Parts: sequence; structure tokens; C-alpha cells
Amino acid sequence: MRPQKKVSRRALLKGTALGVAGVALAACAAPAAPTTAPAAEATPTAMPLPTPPPAAEGKTAINVYSGSDTNITDWHANVVIPAFETKFPQYDVNIISTRGVAGGIKSIVDRSLAAMEVNADPQAELIEEDPANFPDSVKAGLWQKMDEATVPNAKNVIEAARVSEFGMPYRGSQVLLAYDSSKLPDDEVPKTFADLIEWVKKNPGQFTYSRPDKGGSGGNFVVRAIYEVTGRDPSKFKPGPADPALIAEFDKAWELLRSIHEFTYGNGSYPSGNNPALQLLANGSVTMIPAWSDQALQALSRGVLPDTVKLAQFADLPMPGGYAMMGMPKNTRNPQGAYDYMNFLLSPEIQESVVRDIGGFPAISWSLLPAELQSQYTSVITDNVPNWPGGEYNAARNKGWYEKVATNLQP
Amino acid sequence: MTSIGEALGAVNARATMQAALPRPRIGLGSVNINALIAYALVSPPLFVMLLLIFFPAGQAIIRTLFIENETGAIGFSVNNYVNFFSDRIALSNLWFTVWVTVATVVGLFLVCFPIALYLRFAHGVLAAIVQVLALFPLFVPGIILAFALIRFLGPRGMVETALNLVGIQGYTSPYLKPSGIIIGLIWDYIPFTVLVLTAGLRQVEDALIESARDVGAGGWTVFRSIVLPLMDRPVLIVFCLNFISAFGAFTIPYLLGPAAPQMMGVYMQATYSDYLDQARAETQAVITFLCCALIGLLYVRAVTRQRAELS
Repeated sequence: MRPQKKVSRRALLKGTALGVAGVALAACAAPAAPTTAPAAEATPTAMPLPTPPPAAEGKTAINVYSGSDTNITDWHANVVIPAFETKFPQYDVNIISTRGVAGGIKSIVDRSLAAMEVNADPQAELIEEDPANFPDSVKAGLWQKMDEATVPNAKNVIEAARVSEFGMPYRGSQVLLAYDSSKLPDDEVPKTFADLIEWVKKNPGQFTYSRPDKGGSGGNFVVRAIYEVTGRDPSKFKPGPADPALIAEFDKAWELLRSIHEFTYGNGSYPSGNNPALQLLANGSVTMIPAWSDQALQALSRGVLPDTVKLAQFADLPMPGGYAMMGMPKNTRNPQGAYDYMNFLLSPEIQESVVRDIGGFPAISWSLLPAELQSQYTSVITDNVPNWPGGEYNAARNKGWYEKVATNLQP
Repeated sequence: MTSIGEALGAVNARATMQAALPRPRIGLGSVNINALIAYALVSPPLFVMLLLIFFPAGQAIIRTLFIENETGAIGFSVNNYVNFFSDRIALSNLWFTVWVTVATVVGLFLVCFPIALYLRFAHGVLAAIVQVLALFPLFVPGIILAFALIRFLGPRGMVETALNLVGIQGYTSPYLKPSGIIIGLIWDYIPFTVLVLTAGLRQVEDALIESARDVGAGGWTVFRSIVLPLMDRPVLIVFCLNFISAFGAFTIPYLLGPAAPQMMGVYMQATYSDYLDQARAETQAVITFLCCALIGLLYVRAVTRQRAELS
């Protein structure tokens, strides 16, 4: 006879196997349920819809939702909120990230809308998103307009940033070209979009951009291609319902981008986000990528990107940028808290921090910020920040790109 | 070979014996009360399942089949499905998902069967270490795994650097390729597969293997004629659950896979929140659900068959 195995390990294994089988069964039962948010069910690791923690004793909660990258949610948590709570001790602010939640910030908008219909607490005071991106919720009257009367600092917001009826802008950013100057001399950096297309074809594998729906750096690069084929006039694209005639012209942009498909990194392997694209630049896999100004500046200052990385912008027409906005659901239970936090975000103090700490553009006039800051950043800041309306145009952009540019199928 | 046949016969004899064991009988009255308590105990989870899984699933299926026509009236139509099956990209994503899933499941058996066999028959410190290593991925969330694999297998990652150090050039990273998804999913599902296979192997009595050895059966014959036939159920369970998990996987295909083609999980998410096309996303979800349900049926059959044999 063979020596008997130790019982403990055997029993443990069986027990664990049963437990795991149970958990796996529960997890597997989930993808079988096609609800309105299929991805959540399909993801064993996806987080459930976030709910804020209750406010501390004697304080009112302000729940702020953001789908932005970690740099922004960290900045709220570590810079803005401590300063705000010192000034306004009656509030308890929660910044809640919706990244990793299927549907992202939309799930919070949907929840607020559902709460409005039954007159329940949306558990949301501010939602970082331009409400115009959710036309249904605007139509349903979900959003509260914020203006000088309720948010006094709104009077300093510059005209270029006032592009949304219900969204209050508070920080800007623009997509730039980030390139490794040790491999690409400054005077050979493409100046126009057409130059870039030529450069990519001559330097196979050295350029990549994020999938347009997964990261704004790639998204706005694709938008720049759309501008290129529609007469380089960003003002044609207006918020609201998309113009079918303009969307019909997108095909020319797909042709243009398809022409560099096989010359991009990994024969058209597009990284799945802003950070994965930055990683490819940081580890030297590629020479040039489109990147958000704030993310690139921050990565440079933290040493994540080598200091040989420099930034440039197209001279013929810059890539779009935009202003991050806060929207306020009308049914919020703490409107004054929402106004106070919004007003604080637009104070010169926090606007300076936007530039210094997150490499963003201020939403208020530069003249209200310290002079040394203005001169230090003149090289990255242009007054031309094309604004892409998103919404239905985004849906057409994403779908078209996947089907006509990234596709593995031949037409 | 007869002796092996006898050994197998012994297994069946055991099963028959088990079935013949006297079972405690309870009086008629107490059966009713016991049954009621049993139903009361299972009803809350059953109700939650019905409410949170079957009800929305049913609703979604109905929504994909009853759609508005040109006149604005809602009627039965299979248009959503016709659209899906006439869309080359949707079809290519579906086939891609099937392909990646099958490759993952096959890969899992190739990797995990040897580990499970080793853990079943080996003893000592090394076996304990192998077991801990095999179970380790259980404690690593998928998103961390994905980023770790990017660092490890990705461009300029550890593997490429190590290969370059020993003079091997021309490494192509699986990052953003289908193979990236397969490697990630296999890594993720190893612990579960090893656990179930090892548990199954432990049901194979030492005595059976001993007697087969005594009559001169070699390692391969023992595996093929004794171990494998007794492993049909654990293998089926592992196959079904891994297939269903891989088919609906999201995080790993999202982070490690190519932009096109996409696996159904990623495709659904993009259709729903990036193309803002709820009807299509729902149709994709129903089709994914039906594919998984088909495999789930196999699993349910395996489990109920086991119950029938035991009772």
C-alpha cells in the first residue's frame, strides 16, 4: 500500500474546490443575464454601481462623481477636498470614481434620472460630465443650470469654455503630440496633419494612438482626422443632434486613418486607453503618440516619461481639447453644497492648482493667475482649443472607427 | 487487460453498494414538515435568482424580439437578429469569441491536467509549493493580472529584456494580440481548473491504481483506462464553467486584446456605451447568453446525473 495522504490537505482541497465551484457558478450565472449593462455582468472584476459612504456626524454630504483618470480623482481627494472642508467644515465631500463601472458616468446619470422619476435621493450632488452628452437626460429635465447667481465665480469663466448650457467648466486640457526628442529631432516633428500621415508611413511601428472610445487622446486624434477631411472647420460640429451630411463625410477620415493602419505600432494594435498609450511611449516602443497635455505634463514631472519627451501641436489646426464640466442633477438633496463646491473649484486658488498640480488649463481667465505661471506655460497653451461636441458625433466616430479603420476584415 | 476490466468493475460495484445502503426513512408527517422547511430555506435565494437574473434576462429577450415598426406599433420581429447575423463585424466578433474561448479551454487542460496529476500522486514539500503556486492566481484580481502581464510579456517587458540579454532578438509580444487574451485567461483560470481536477483525481482510489499496477499496467494505461474514465464529470464541469467564464470575459480581453476583432464582452460594452446602441447591445447579450446557456445545459445535465446516481 502507498502511504495515505495527509487528510488535512485533502480535505482542504475538496472543501476549497467546492467553494470555488460555488463562487464560479455564481459568477458564471451572471453573464447569462443580458440586462441593460451587459459588460458589468460579464466582468467578474467589475465593480458594482458605486454608492457614497454616509456623511460624518453633523455634516452634509456632497457626492461628486467622476469618470476621469486617477490623476483627476486623486487631485480632488488630496488637494481640493481638504482645502474645501477646512473652509466649509459643515460639508463632507466624497469623490467617487466611476472608472471600471460598466457604462461609466452614464450609469450615475441613469440612476439620477431614475431617482427623479420616483422623487428619490440621487445620491449625487455633482457629476463630472457635460450633460449635453446625455440628450435624453437633458430632455427629461434632469439638470440644474448653474450661473453667476448661484456660483459667483462663474463670472470669471472665459468665453471659449462656455459651450454647454448645463455643464459648468472648471479645467481644460488639450491633445498634443508627445514625441521622444532623442529619436526624432525637433525640426523633423510633423507640423501639419498631412505631415504626420507622411511621417507615420515612413516610420512604420513608431506611432500609435489609443482607441477613440477608450481614451480621449486617441479620440481627439481621430476627431482631428475628421476635421482634416471636413475643411478644417471645427465650428461645423455643433452640440445636439448630429448632422447626417457631416457624418457621411466621416468615410474620408476612415480612408485617411486606414492608410496608416498597418504602419502604426504592432500593425494596427491600438492600446486601450490614454495610459496604455503613454506606457508605449515611456518604454520606447514608439516614438510619437497623441497625448493629453495634463497627463503628459504630469508624467514628465513625475519621471514616468523620460525627460527627452517633448510636446508639440499641429500648426494648421490644433487637436481638440475641452473643458471638464460639472453637471448638477436638479433633484439633488444638497443643492447649496453643490453650488459651494462648484464655486470653490472656480476660485483663483484652485484654478492655479489646476495648472500646477494636474497640468490642466484654467477655466477662468489666465490674467487672474500669477504672472510667473502665465509665462511658464505659454508654450503649451494656445487660445485655439477646438471643441468637439461629442454626443451622437462620438457614437458615429467610435462605430465608424472600429468598423472601417481598426477592423480585421477587408472591405 | 481483463484485470483492468475487473478493477473498473470494482468501481461500479462500489457505486452499486453505495446505492444499496439503507437510507433513513422518516414518517409521512415529518416528511411534509421537513420538505416545507427545506423549501422555505431555498426560496429566498431562488427568489433573488428569479428576480435579478431570470426576470431581466427574460425582459431583454422579449425587448429584442418585440420592436417598433415604421408605423410606430410594437410587434414581433426577428429584425435585431437578422441584423446581427448579417453584420460581418458582429459575426467575426462572435467567431473570434468562440475561437479564443475554445483555445483557452484547450490550453487550460494542457496546462492543468499535468499539474493536477502531479498534485494527486506527489507528496512532500515540492508538491506543497506547486500547489500554492497553482492556487496563487486565485488571489490576484483580473485587472492587476492584466497590467502585470503587460509589464512581463509586453513590449520592452521582462521576457523581452531577458531574451535580449541572452542574445535572442525578434520577440513579438502577445500584448494587444489574440494570444494576449488567451495567455491572460489561462493564467486567471488555472486555480479553479487545478482545484476541480485535483478534487476529481482524489476520488480515484489508490487501491484501483495499485491493482492495475499489480497486473502490469503502465502509467499511460493506468491514466487512459482507470483515471480518465473516472474523470468524465470533473472534466465536464471544468470545461463548462471555464467555457462560460471565458466566453463572457471582459477585463482581460479589454486590456490585453486587439482593437479588432473583439470578444463579445468588450463588443457589447462598446456597442452599449460607446456607440449608444442599446438594441444592438441587447441582441449581442442575448446571443452571448444563448451560447453560454447551451454549455450551461451540459453542466446542469452532468450535475443532475450525479444526483440521480447518488440517490
